[in-house]
This record gives sequence, C-alpha cells and structure tokens, in this order.
Amino acid sequence: MSDPPAVQLRGLAKRYGSRAAVEGLTIDVPAGVVAGFVGPNGAGKTTTMAMLLGLVRPSAGTGTVLGKPLEDPASYLGQVGALIEGPAFYRGLTGAENLAVLATVAGHDLAEIPVLLDLVGLGARGDDRFRTYSLGMKQRLGIAGALLGDPRLLILDEPINGLDPAGVHEMRGLIGQLAGGERTVLVSSHVLAELEQVCDWLIVVDHGRLVFQGPAAELLDRADATLVVAPEHVRDLDRLQGLLAAAGHEGQLDDGRLQIAVNGDDPRTLAAVVNRAAGSEGIILAELRVAHTSLEDRYLSMVNGGDR
Amino acid sequence: MICMFEAELLKLSRRRVTLATVAGTLAFAVLAATAVFLSATGPGEPSAPRGTSVESLAQAGGATEAFAIGASFAGILVLVLFIANVAGEISQGTFRTLLMREPRRIALLAGKMAALLAFVAGVLAFAEILTVAASTAIAPTQDVSTASWFGVDGLGAAAADYGSALAGLTAWALLGMALAIFVRSIPIALAIGIVWSGPFEHLLHDAWIGAGEWFPGLLLETLISGGGNGASVTRALVLVAVYVCVAAGAAGIVFARRDVTV
Repeated sequence: MSDPPAVQLRGLAKRYGSRAAVEGLTIDVPAGVVAGFVGPNGAGKTTTMAMLLGLVRPSAGTGTVLGKPLEDPASYLGQVGALIEGPAFYRGLTGAENLAVLATVAGHDLAEIPVLLDLVGLGARGDDRFRTYSLGMKQRLGIAGALLGDPRLLILDEPINGLDPAGVHEMRGLIGQLAGGERTVLVSSHVLAELEQVCDWLIVVDHGRLVFQGPAAELLDRADATLVVAPEHVRDLDRLQGLLAAAGHEGQLDDGRLQIAVNGDDPRTLAAVVNRAAGSEGIILAELRVAHTSLEDRYLSMVNGGDR
Repeated sequence: MICMFEAELLKLSRRRVTLATVAGTLAFAVLAATAVFLSATGPGEPSAPRGTSVESLAQAGGATEAFAIGASFAGILVLVLFIANVAGEISQGTFRTLLMREPRRIALLAGKMAALLAFVAGVLAFAEILTVAASTAIAPTQDVSTASWFGVDGLGAAAADYGSALAGLTAWALLGMALAIFVRSIPIALAIGIVWSGPFEHLLHDAWIGAGEWFPGLLLETLISGGGNGASVTRALVLVAVYVCVAAGAAGIVFARRDVTV
C-alpha cells in the first residue's frame, strides 16, 4: 500500500442543471485493494465511474487514475478495464467475436481471448451469439472484456445486479479471483452485503457525497456494540436493571432481555461487571453476550443520514 | 483510428454479412438491369422522364446505365443503414464499450466511418461489375448493341458513374451518421431522415421549383443520377459537399463533447 493510490479524486463534482449527481467527492483508492464502492441507487456511483473512464466530463474537481490526470483519459485507459452500466455488446456477434472487436480497437493480442473466456467460465459458449446468453453470462463476458490487456485497474459497476443467488456467489468468487498482485479492483453495488466478503476497502457514498472511506474492518469497528443480558427468571429483570443503573450502566428492556450500550468500553470488562453485580445479588444469568450492529445495519444507518 | 477501422472491418467481414451482401448486390444488379432494359423505349417511341432508350443504352455509357439509375435509388437505403448502425451503437451502449477502449472519440468515429465507407465503396464496385454483367446478358434480348461499351469511352463512363454514385452515397452516409448522432434514437432518426429526404423535399419541389437547387436530398439525386431537379451537377456537388461538411463537423463536435450516459 506504499504505492501511489490507484484512484485519487479531489472535490470531484458533476451537475446536470441544478441537480448534483456527484458533489465534492474526495476519495483515495489504494493500489492493490478490492475497493467496494457502495451507496443506494442514485448515490452517484455510476456517474463517478463514468468520469473515471472519460465518458462523462466533470463539472468541477481534479484527480488522477494510475497517477495520470483525470482530464487525459487516453493516458491511462490502456491500463484500465471496465464494465459499466451493464454489458453492452453486439447482439449478433458471438462472445469471442465481441471480444475480438474490443481487442482490435485497443490493440490487444487476440490470443488472450480463449484464455479469458475460460477464466470467466464461458470457454464452451464463446462461439455462441451474445443474444443467446443469460444475464449472468453477459456479465461474465463483460468482465472478460474488461480484462483484455491485463489491466492494472478494473472498474466494475454493479456486476452482481440482477443475478440469481448462484450467480451472485459465482461473481463474488470471480471478483476475488481477479484481485491480487498489482491489480486494483473498484467494484460498485447498492447492497453492501454483496461486497463485504470480497472487499478490503470501502467507499460509501450517498446523494453524491462521501460518507465513509477506509478499510472495511474500520467500518465494522465503528459499528455499535451492545451487551445483551437475560436473567434465568424474568421476575429478576427489574431488580437487575436497577442494580446496573446504580452502577452507572443504563439498560433498555427488550423482550425479556436487558440491552446495555457498550459506549466505547471494553465489552468483556463490562460483561464481567454485570456478571459480578448479578452474582452478588444471587441473580443467575441465562444469557450474557456482546451483539454488534451488522455491517449492513451500519451502512444503512450511514446512508439514511446518521453520519452525514 | 486504424484500430477502429480494423475492428469495424472485422464485424463486416463475417460470413453472414458477406453472404447477405453478395445476395443483395446480385439481386440489385439483376433487378436494375432487367428493369432498365425492359423499360427502354425503342426508336421513335416517346421516352419517359429519366427513362432510357435502346439508343442511349447502345452508347459508351450503356453498360453502366442500369447501375447509375439503380444507385440513385440506393441513397435512401444507405441513409437508413447508417442511421441504424450509428444510432444503434449509441442506444445499445456499444459506443460506450468502445470508448472505454479508445477514448479519442473523433478517431473512433472516423475509423468506424472510414471502414463503413470502404465497405460501401467495395460493394458499389461489385454492384457495378455485376450490373455490367447482367446488362451484357440482357442486351441482346432487347436488340441493344454492346459494341461501344467496352472501349476507352465506355470505361470512362463506368468510372464516372462509379465516382458519382460513390460521392452521392458517401454524402447520404455522412448525413445519416450526423442525424444519428444528433438524435441518438433509431426510430426518431429514421423517421426524420426518411420523411425529410423523401416526401418532404419532393412535395416542396412540387410547390417550389427552386427547391431542387438548394435542398440536400434533391441535390443528391441530381448528383447521383447526373442531372435533373433543376440544378447542375457541379452546383449539386459543391452544395452537397458544403452541407455534408457542416453536418459531419457539427456531429463530430457533439460526439466529442457530449457525456456518454447510455
């Protein structure tokens, strides 16, 4: 991670009339990571990616991609592969013919094509016309197209969108397979759960603004934790709540349990305090555990306005 | 630009496209030659407007007369094909896919158009050869002498007919490309292109005879068929060149600067 960032954006903005699709976006994507670019529909993910790819002209801001200025896409796009807004290929051409057209346009070696078709699991269907492919196959052909020329940066816009559960599983595996070495993968989705297993870096945007960026583990660390406590007998619940309140730990009653906010304390220490207090009054605990807010809940709280 | 040229040729050189093109060109040649020779008027018979006679067919340019007349009707077909091709690339997102590989947009567009026009030039040459062959086969059945067809004058007339047809169809193609880039939708661009160049300009010409000296569709007919509609071929060539340069230039600027959101 000592290399310069694969993508560095400073105050990037895109406005359509009075509507801002992207507003002052400042992000860094370290080289070599699989970065999840997450946000609800309309958050500005595709527009940002389109600006990285020279398809859309920014209204303001600057940036670099692979160290080259954003204003000069021709200087870096030879090392970038992308799939954006769904796979768009010639319907009457076969998968292999479509890749041959792309490879010829970019001046890449046509010998790559069978290898890439095998890599994405289309080796046996490469000579079938694109129009006969299922959505999952189209997405995989799109990824094969993006991999032409062995790019250093791979930009994938919602590659999992619309796939069935088996397709989602396959695509996640493929994305994980594509990462590694010097390649950086920037992959977007509106569902964090689709990406959290494969991403080691996360960028969360909402309404065109950055909400979070950093290692995926950091987002998890920020997630709120609560201590869930349940006495063996429900009749002891009020007594336990009073006991803990006297010790400075307010708890909320919830379905026969006490929920105590950890509030930055060490959850294990707090659990020991609770256990000791209950034991001193002869209350037997049937349940004592730390519950983390899930990453998805944390993400949803961010994009619903909590962290803006 | 060269890479895009090669990529477009890759699409055009597929077996399916080649077979369809050969079949279409063969049908064009046979139909054009048959229609022209069967409708040719004999000595002393009144000739129809833009019609041919046995006498004119026996002259040096007689071998390619059917080709020239047939090509004048191909303009609208070329317009439709180029609108469908370019607007299709935009609306189906394939231009977006290509632009991520070749961000120099003008080079991309120029390479694509050069390949398509090279293809048109090749098909046109093939059509002329087939039409001459068909005409040669039909001529004896209509008592048309072919003695003057294959001399120097005949070859000159063939080259001139080919040049006029190529210039005219290139203009139709570039106007189709421009319309497709401006409008981006296949059905809307086709509707505008067909209605404007077909009924609209001809109705205008019926109402105002001077329309033939100014409007692009009428000027293109004049250019390809070597006269008619009240304008000289030179005037048609110059004005069409101006219109095409303005339209293609404006389309190039729009294509280079517009955000690609499809």
